[in-house]
Amino acid sequence: MNAISTAKKLPIPADALGLLAVPLAMLALWVLVTRAQWVPEQLLVSPTKVIEAVGELWEAGELQGHLQNSLRRLFLGFFSGAIFGLIFGVLMGLFKSMEDYCAPLFNAFRQIPSIAFIPMLILIFGIDETFKIIIVAKAAFFPVALGGYDSVRGIPKNYFEVAKVYQCPLWPLIKQVVIPATVPQILTGLRLSLSRSWMVLVAAELMAADSGIGQMMEWGRQMFRMDIVVVGVFITGLIGFALDYGFKWLESRMARWKMG
Amino acid sequence: MGLVFLKRLKGLVLPLVLLMVWEIASRQGRAYALTFIPIEKIGRSLIETILSGELLTNLLASLGTASTGLLIGGTVGLGLGSLMGLYPRVDKIIGPVFHSFRQVPLLGWIPLIGLWFGNGCLAKTLVVCLASFYPMVLNSYAGIRNVENNHLEVGRVLGASRWQTYRYILIPGALPFIFIGIYHALAFSWISTVGSELLFTAGPGLGGMMQTAQMAAKMDIVIICVASIGVVGLLMNVSLAKLSGHLLRWRSTR
Amino acid sequence: MGNLIHPDFKRSAKSLSGELSIQSLHKQYRLERNYLNVLENINLTILPGEFVSIVGPSGCGKSTILRLVVGLDSDFQGRILLDGKPITSTSTDRGIVFQDHRLFPWMTVWENIAFALVNSDLPSAEKRDIVSLNIKRVNLTGFANAYPHQLSGGMAQRAAIARALVNEPKILLLDEPLGALDALTRLYLQAELQRIWIQHRSTMIMVTHDVEEALFLGDRVVVMQANPGRIKRVVPVPLEHPRDRSSPLFHRLKDEILADLIDTDSTAEAKRAKSLALRSDLG
Repeated sequence: MNAISTAKKLPIPADALGLLAVPLAMLALWVLVTRAQWVPEQLLVSPTKVIEAVGELWEAGELQGHLQNSLRRLFLGFFSGAIFGLIFGVLMGLFKSMEDYCAPLFNAFRQIPSIAFIPMLILIFGIDETFKIIIVAKAAFFPVALGGYDSVRGIPKNYFEVAKVYQCPLWPLIKQVVIPATVPQILTGLRLSLSRSWMVLVAAELMAADSGIGQMMEWGRQMFRMDIVVVGVFITGLIGFALDYGFKWLESRMARWKMG
Repeated sequence: MGLVFLKRLKGLVLPLVLLMVWEIASRQGRAYALTFIPIEKIGRSLIETILSGELLTNLLASLGTASTGLLIGGTVGLGLGSLMGLYPRVDKIIGPVFHSFRQVPLLGWIPLIGLWFGNGCLAKTLVVCLASFYPMVLNSYAGIRNVENNHLEVGRVLGASRWQTYRYILIPGALPFIFIGIYHALAFSWISTVGSELLFTAGPGLGGMMQTAQMAAKMDIVIICVASIGVVGLLMNVSLAKLSGHLLRWRSTR
Repeated sequence: MGNLIHPDFKRSAKSLSGELSIQSLHKQYRLERNYLNVLENINLTILPGEFVSIVGPSGCGKSTILRLVVGLDSDFQGRILLDGKPITSTSTDRGIVFQDHRLFPWMTVWENIAFALVNSDLPSAEKRDIVSLNIKRVNLTGFANAYPHQLSGGMAQRAAIARALVNEPKILLLDEPLGALDALTRLYLQAELQRIWIQHRSTMIMVTHDVEEALFLGDRVVVMQANPGRIKRVVPVPLEHPRDRSSPLFHRLKDEILADLIDTDSTAEAKRAKSLALRSDLG
């Protein structure tokens, strides 16, 4: 009994230390390398400079502005793309004839990376907001549509048979069988598409934008401001992580009936 | 037979309608004609770019970047993922760093890589390496971790040596996951090749060709590039699916 | 073959509805270009309140009969009548318990059982009473809010039985309901099934692999054979319920039926060996 409780208590701080040890060591190395000037300043900026850059950007209100613009584009594009994708995917999963008509075109477009559409969309819509929202929506559309389609097709036939035995009408069938059976996979599709949308948005902002985190990084690169570029890398990573983590949390909450 | 034919026919309806709408739009005056290039003109440009060798040169350059990056990034990823799967200590040390680096969207690294390595071939290849590195690490790790313990126990009972355990149990057991990893790595390497070429415009490549065409407002070339990118991606997927189907034929498929 | 009704059947007078009559039933599957006879000329009349067990080798179409009776499959020739009316589709007057419990993993035991009332017009208070009554009936009180993955196999199967009983079906079909359970749970649930049958007084048809189980529960045991699926023999079980598994008659019937099954199995085996030999000759 005693052994178990100590065994349970001890590893937690040890584990946390272990988890933090390597990143801390890397940070220390970074500080050391830049302090000792083993590497020229242009090649590796010091952590203090990065922190100063954050402060500077924040004071000037630039960071907030870029963040706000990027996130607005992300959510507008993601939600419109995801909603259309979900409707399209579920309908294609439910109706065979719709699949016959739409699947080949859908699959053909799916093969083309979203990024490859950027020049085309710039030519059609110019470099304004429309183009960025559309490219994000496009990136969000396909994974969600695919997830919706697969999840509807993947509902075991058994479930429909049980529903038939009890003469379940259409609406309860959708509400009590189709939706719960598909939610986990659809959420996974949404999560995937959210992180893809984020990547595509950053790329689009790197290529053509007057604001946004991507534009901030691109500006930093052109001005050889490595500190600003590193700030951008950190922030894109942080946002990517937060989006992914938030969705995983949502998934675990919405599919609590699943094992483990 | 007849049914399959009818199904194919249905699949053609939508693309044809789309082409028709495109063609009609291209005839709505000059403002439209800039974006909606007549299909016939796209066809002529296609023949031109093929005959001049422009398309092929750029396509081969892109494929070169993609395959170099895939080979290097994939191999390193396979090695690191396997080590992390086999040795919990390696996992503990490298895992957190790996996972925190992974959070940055791939193309988000581009400005930094640009600062360090310029905007030529080396920078592009590095981006592609990174793109194929992540999925290989994740999947080879998962593959080794997913080899069922009872299979390992059979090996132990039969007195398999460490090497034999790798050769006969761990590697074949991890293979399905490793293939998923290659699948993803292949897809990501192609996407990142195009992405890096769009952003690092020096040197040949489909992305660069497309970017130049966009600057010159040549929609026909842009469309040709987009279509080529799609076709190459499709061919990659199909051939890998065939290959993995052959190598993993011991698995029961439903 | 004619109608096969056990002549000494006595319970029939007690309940009036739930008579199932299967008349010259045929069913074929199409396998690429070939037709496979799954069921050939099945004739069987089951009296109200009777418990009939069906045993047979795998592939003899015994589960297919249940799918046809419950109305999940309407592609057959011949007639299936319940109380004189032909079966066209599913209906709540026929319940079924599948081998895999088929509970929805996202619903609790309570919600799963209540799902059987999805199409009924009863006021919700009454529905609640019916559900809790049936949970009590299968001894699952206290597990109403558990999810299927939290239940043992036997408990999940009992929940599935409760779901099938909720609509008070005239006839309950059991498709190898205990097939996936361990031996001890099986014995226990056989007794439970018998108790439910006696209390519920509905007609029941059970498909099983286990001859002893078939004899323990069935008023009659239908022995089937495969290729094509047909009835080989109908064995009446003239023993009082609850049955004594150690009685000499019980043992004799068990040996007879097993001999029947092994016989058909070995002829099928011989056929297969012969065709394989033929093929290798040709190849």
